[in-house]
Amino acid sequence: MAKVLEGPGMGLMKKWGIHVPNYVVVTSADELTKLGQVNEWLKQSKLVAKAHEALGSRFKLGLVKVGLDLNGAIAATKEMIGRQVGSITVTQVIISEMIAHKEEYYCAVKSTREGSEILVANCGGIEVESNWDRVKRLTLEIGQQPSPETLEKVVKEAGFTGPLAKKMTDFAGKMFTCFDSEDAQYLEVNPVVTRESDGELVALDAVTLLDGDAKFRHPDWNFQFAAEFGRAYSKNEMEVMAVDSKIKGSVKFIEIPGGDTAMLPAGGGASVYYSDAVVARGGKLANYAEYSGDPPDWAVEVLTEKVCSLPGIKNIIVGGAIANFTDVKKTFGGIINGFRKAKADGKMKDVKIWVRRGGPREKEGLDAMRALKDEGFDINVFDRNTPLTDIVDKALQKQ
Amino acid sequence: MSILATKDTRVVIQGGQAGVNAARRMAEFCYLIKRPLNVEAFVYPPDAGKTNEVPYGSGLIAIPIYKTIAEATKNHPAINTSLVYIGADRAMKGGMEALDDSHIKVVSMITEGVPEKDAKILGAHARKLGKVFNGPSSIGIVSAGACRLGVIGGAFDNLVLSKLYREGSFGVITKSGGLSNEIIWICSQFADGITTAIGIGGDAFPGTDYVSYLEMFENDPQTKAVVIVGEMGGDLEERAAEWYGAKKRRVKLMAVVSGFCQESLPKGMKFGHAGAKEGMKGEGSARAKSDALKKSGAIVPATFGALGPAIKEAYQEMLKSGLVKEPVEPVSLPKLPKTVEEAMKADEVMVAPLIRTTISDDRGDEPCYDGYPASELINKGYEIPHVVGLLWDKRLISKQEAEIIKRIMMLSADHGPCVSGALGTIIAACAGIGMSQSVAAGLIMIGPRFGGAVTDAGRFFKYAVDNKLSVDDFLAYMKKNHGPVPGIGHRVKSLRNPDKRVKELVGYVKSLNMKTPCLDFALQVEQVTAAKKDNLILNVDGTMAAVLVDLGFPVDSLNGFFILSRTIGLIGHWVDQKRQESRLIRLFDYLVNYAAPKRREVPPLK
Repeated sequence: MAKVLEGPGMGLMKKWGIHVPNYVVVTSADELTKLGQVNEWLKQSKLVAKAHEALGSRFKLGLVKVGLDLNGAIAATKEMIGRQVGSITVTQVIISEMIAHKEEYYCAVKSTREGSEILVANCGGIEVESNWDRVKRLTLEIGQQPSPETLEKVVKEAGFTGPLAKKMTDFAGKMFTCFDSEDAQYLEVNPVVTRESDGELVALDAVTLLDGDAKFRHPDWNFQFAAEFGRAYSKNEMEVMAVDSKIKGSVKFIEIPGGDTAMLPAGGGASVYYSDAVVARGGKLANYAEYSGDPPDWAVEVLTEKVCSLPGIKNIIVGGAIANFTDVKKTFGGIINGFRKAKADGKMKDVKIWVRRGGPREKEGLDAMRALKDEGFDINVFDRNTPLTDIVDKALQKQ
Repeated sequence: MSILATKDTRVVIQGGQAGVNAARRMAEFCYLIKRPLNVEAFVYPPDAGKTNEVPYGSGLIAIPIYKTIAEATKNHPAINTSLVYIGADRAMKGGMEALDDSHIKVVSMITEGVPEKDAKILGAHARKLGKVFNGPSSIGIVSAGACRLGVIGGAFDNLVLSKLYREGSFGVITKSGGLSNEIIWICSQFADGITTAIGIGGDAFPGTDYVSYLEMFENDPQTKAVVIVGEMGGDLEERAAEWYGAKKRRVKLMAVVSGFCQESLPKGMKFGHAGAKEGMKGEGSARAKSDALKKSGAIVPATFGALGPAIKEAYQEMLKSGLVKEPVEPVSLPKLPKTVEEAMKADEVMVAPLIRTTISDDRGDEPCYDGYPASELINKGYEIPHVVGLLWDKRLISKQEAEIIKRIMMLSADHGPCVSGALGTIIAACAGIGMSQSVAAGLIMIGPRFGGAVTDAGRFFKYAVDNKLSVDDFLAYMKKNHGPVPGIGHRVKSLRNPDKRVKELVGYVKSLNMKTPCLDFALQVEQVTAAKKDNLILNVDGTMAAVLVDLGFPVDSLNGFFILSRTIGLIGHWVDQKRQESRLIRLFDYLVNYAAPKRREVPPLK
């Protein structure tokens, strides 16, 4: 799942005929000043300015300002650009027109195993979250298009009547077309509002999640995906992502500040069981990591260096199940090189390494790991006869 | 018995190299269970009409490659299963093609990163047709003693360790490929092993879910229990729990679920497989899944590590109740033939080497010349002549010797376009021939009359010096046994028009404080021969030869100095012609003396 920021998300909706407020995304106050000279709406409307970053709780952080005129928006932009929030620097601000409205509604399309579900409610904003039973659903099989009649039926079930029901039916239909055509996994507009000026339904705020795997057939997805967890990716995370995009197989890395148990396990499945084991033993994860699909040794080496660079770590868990086709000797070769570099940089002091693995060339790989003892590493190596997560127990018991 | 992958399974593999690798693994399994290879065809349009060679035992089996599934099943009507290894952007089309073929009942997709929508369409299409679509991102399916689809099960040794050569009593369903192998291993160590293990893939919406496979296992009398390795996200585990709890089931259900760490992670942070990241607003948590499974009556150990003992306990109960009997292990199992390299490493074979080398070794991270690593030579200031010394004479020559060789190379690097070698290269270059062939055309000219007299000159001068012959005796010896003295005489140069290259080289060598018996002798010879005829001077070949013999180079290496040096010039001539985009050239007829018979009538053929 790939999260898309508001600007490109609204762009996709607009592409499929959904009304969205006028908006611009700027990187400086000067840019907004220039845009103000050529766009009438910026001069005439009340404006909202929001930091255009993958940040939660922007309102609380003062990164949303409402009811502004153009000068106010320029001032707000100046103030927001460059603000540092945790690891994120605000580099973009989205300015959109405020839409005068009274009623708020809700519409979403989500992916399900069978196909998708269209959700509508005749309340919106925070009201819908506390009245979830007012949300009505239309379930669709994959490949099935919603007919106007079935859509109207669910819209009416949700309590829409008269001309508004017609408009909401149309709105939900367009939401589905956008969802289906853009390989979306989740589209949510909350609130949908009636624009007082012309009575049209407008999407005021949108959540857009796209299927990153479908990027190959969407040449107009010229935007970056946002980090999925309310913060920007760190430099080390981005470096691993860059490696990941280049190789056969995969390497993954996410930092979790404050932890002291570093993870360097193999496999998308086993890695989570290792993380569970650390948490279950009362340990604190310093990161999530994973390599799989027989990646090249240099990629695993890069990942290892990043893991060893995590601050304040006491243990590194080099776990893994019995591989099907990942070459244990080769991938361990990458890890060993990474360890050696980290040690040369003075990073492995007081760090214990715990290894458990099986798979093609497991003996050679494990022997090479064991030999690190002679180079002064504090390393404990186990083979397939030690159950998967026992190394976590051993690592955390000894402390 | 087993499900999905059975002794009757016949496979077509869609895809290129990854598919071939899988076929190799599958052949290892077939070899282990002493059955013929179950892969009958490949579909891979770029290579259609060719074959892929798959090792089986110590032999190779050629498997045909087709352009379409229809062609494959027409030629191999027993095919009933397809494995898809096609790239994510074309996987759906390939999967559809396979599903739509009437012969094929099971399609398992190994491809990762398939768009969710495509996977759903494939799954729905398969259900409509009453077929099985497994995956995407599946590691494969393996039925012990019967059939392996894909690389699931790992290397040959692991197949044996995990007792995949004979049936057990446990079914396995996992999302994770790596963990499927782990569970297979656990089942073989804590119990009697598996019947069938299925990797359903870690995507959000796999084509076939746990429940469909649970139904199949329920109907397979050999399977007594099923182990599910679940993950947070989605609702597949909840559905499995619902199925299990709905009525009394014959199979025992055991499960573990990962993702408990989620509870103590920063909000919104999710990781693992794509499927594990599914689930908004708290649904599909590891705890919810685990609770649902427990409530349904399934055995849910607290940790992954506790799974082994739980399986053991379940198995012991089955033994006690007589539901299963202790398996009978086969007396002997086929051993996978080792490659020659592996057998040598294990000291099991001795191979008589085909060639022997005494000069260099390429097996490390860089070449070693006569034992010295190339980079170390560079870093310690050695140069090209030293490499020549190491590779041609197996010794580290001195700075002074290197300087002499460098000068020899500089003096003989080129001699203009008219000489035989350069002309050969230029004619070839103008005919549009590539560099290596054109340069070779020039090198071919090097022989007794052009540049190739160095070795012979050196040999005879050395013979004279070694045997302390006088110049007169030497000339008499040559006249009697060999003819003209190699290294003496020049086509255009003479005493009055001396060869500056010779003067330069002789002058330099004589200025050094070194013994040059061969060169001295050659110069004495020149005095005698040039007195007889003006152009019988010591030529550049002869000079080089004498000097190099004095330096101690083996006689057989001497022509090499000219070949090496002149290659520089020949490459230059080729590049020069190429740069000028020279056109094809031919001799003008006025440059030819046509001495052939005049035109005449051809007599009738007899």
